[in-house]
Amino acid sequence: MKLKFAVILIVAGAWTVSCSRGPAITTEVVALASQKPPVSPTDAAWNSAPEHPAKLLLQDLVEPRLMKASTAEVRVRALQNGSEIAFRMEWNDASQNDAPGPAKFLDGCAVQIPQAIEPNPPDPQMGSAGHPVMVTFWRADWQASVNGRKDDIHSLYPNASVDHYPFQAHSLEPGSAAQKEMMQRYAPAQAAGNRRVGPREAPVEEMIAEGPGTLSPHKDGFAKGQGVRTKNGWSVVLLRKYPTGLSAKTRTNVAFAIWEGSAQEVGSRKMRTGWIPLSVREAK
Amino acid sequence: MARVNNWQLGREMSYWYPESRPQRQFAAVFDTNKCIACQTCTLACKTTWTSGRGQEYMLWNNVESKPYGFYPLAWDLKLLEMLNGGAWTNNRYDGQTIFESAPAGERVLGWRPEQQDYAYPNVGEDDCTGQVDKGAGMMALPHMNWFFYLARICNHCTYPACLASCPRGSIYKRPEDGIVLVDQGRCRGYQECVKGCPYKKVFFNPMTGTSEKCIACYPKMEQGIQPQCFVNCIGKIRLAGYISKPGQERQENPIDYLVRIRKIALPLFPQFGLEPNVYYIPPIHVPLSFSRQLFGPGADDAVKAYRNAANDPDLSSLLCLFGSSEQVMTKWSRQGDTVSGLDDKGTTLVRVPRNEPVFTRPAYDKLYQITRTNCP
Repeated sequence: MKLKFAVILIVAGAWTVSCSRGPAITTEVVALASQKPPVSPTDAAWNSAPEHPAKLLLQDLVEPRLMKASTAEVRVRALQNGSEIAFRMEWNDASQNDAPGPAKFLDGCAVQIPQAIEPNPPDPQMGSAGHPVMVTFWRADWQASVNGRKDDIHSLYPNASVDHYPFQAHSLEPGSAAQKEMMQRYAPAQAAGNRRVGPREAPVEEMIAEGPGTLSPHKDGFAKGQGVRTKNGWSVVLLRKYPTGLSAKTRTNVAFAIWEGSAQEVGSRKMRTGWIPLSVREAK
Repeated sequence: MARVNNWQLGREMSYWYPESRPQRQFAAVFDTNKCIACQTCTLACKTTWTSGRGQEYMLWNNVESKPYGFYPLAWDLKLLEMLNGGAWTNNRYDGQTIFESAPAGERVLGWRPEQQDYAYPNVGEDDCTGQVDKGAGMMALPHMNWFFYLARICNHCTYPACLASCPRGSIYKRPEDGIVLVDQGRCRGYQECVKGCPYKKVFFNPMTGTSEKCIACYPKMEQGIQPQCFVNCIGKIRLAGYISKPGQERQENPIDYLVRIRKIALPLFPQFGLEPNVYYIPPIHVPLSFSRQLFGPGADDAVKAYRNAANDPDLSSLLCLFGSSEQVMTKWSRQGDTVSGLDDKGTTLVRVPRNEPVFTRPAYDKLYQITRTNCP
């Protein structure tokens, strides 16, 4: 009887183990159909989605490498409606790292999907030339900014004392173009259009890469997201465009990464997965 | 890793990228003996470039009192302790550079300052209320009471560790003048450059989420004008220009003359392996063992030559050009007791006398019937 049960599940495209408590566990990521994939990690729609516990590996192939493992596992659920797909990533993290600064790093997570479904998928380490990957990235400090933390130095350093900024000159009318221009003079990244600069409207960023070191913002990218602190760590939803070519008859791949700020993880210093098969399934 | 030539080490070394020297290399000479740590350079830079949000703690230019002044705290001592350094044999460095001693998983050997390491620039560094041979008033020094001022900017190194450290290639060295810049559009604020730069001259801006650094005032240099920290220097300790490629030194180039021909100006911590391009005339009153650690094995001869400068018409003349013009003097020439600074085309920018006339002012002013307080 047990053997028969397993065979049925293989045909469905994934091993699934159900139990009376908690979600169904899958050996690959199964995106369940949902009328409107939610952005909120606490939305009830997530309760019906199966969960894939993904073991995390050290990024130890590209310098600078991560030499000491931190986060062991990320629990992933996925919902989709044919035009959007949302991933909820949950992981344990005792420390909340959401304030940037010198030698201070941020908690974060990312989902990576090949731009196109290929028989031979791109390199799981950020893709490769001619075989791009799409990366949806969430970071805790962006979430704090979206949640209302002011975009000024006093929000990061409450006891900071600033004598004067040039854009505060009496001759510059608050909110005027001249004042903004003066502010930008001392914020070259803002002048260069770098989307790292706050204040942020979304805690996520959609990007594209064709190999390590090539990550750049995706001009036509679309991404939403939200992260909340849980009892044991983070619960984050990353919502992006539905992968091109993915259907009930096809499969693609997905990979995940977690950055633990307290372990000074940033950029290529991260815990990550290899490619994990991603399939879609109608809701029962 | 590629094999590259580092003339300051007298040997080849390993570097992340192949050797690619710019068409010409921004370089500078600082005369430590003339610096009074007035910090005018620091403020000139601060006002010009780092007055924005997130830049509050940044000093692209700083002046610290050696041996106990640091910005950030212990920036040099920490790395010296980590480095598998070594001795010099006939001006060849036998130890490892920060590239050659990079730990597994790292591109260079480095460390990242904590926030508080930036918190105390110039606090109590140069308190000196005691007698030279009896130590300072508040500090019990394990040696005679001496210190000197070390002005520091980005060294715009030939082999920048910040550039080698960046996994995104967001830092580049301009082929036209060798100035090292962070691409503010591309940087993602990983702070690998902050960790990698041994001189700690790249700073993370928490408001823009990117790292920022000294740009050698390139908009001014492009117009043939020296950077802000140079032209505002009260003590006239600085001279900006370009250094020629190794083996292509020209007598008429003031930087070449001081660095490669007379060897009176020396790189800061050459053993780190970056081939830094700000060169220092070492202090003449500091124990040579200390100067050798900072400036390499050429310190002894440099001090000797500087002490003898008064009897050296060429050298003393050229030293008079420091701070004499706002413009970049890429050539120089001496005519008797007059020295000229010239531009690339040979146009004279400034002429100054080798010896200024001396006026002696009596302590008692008969006209106003007062006694003046003279500086010693």
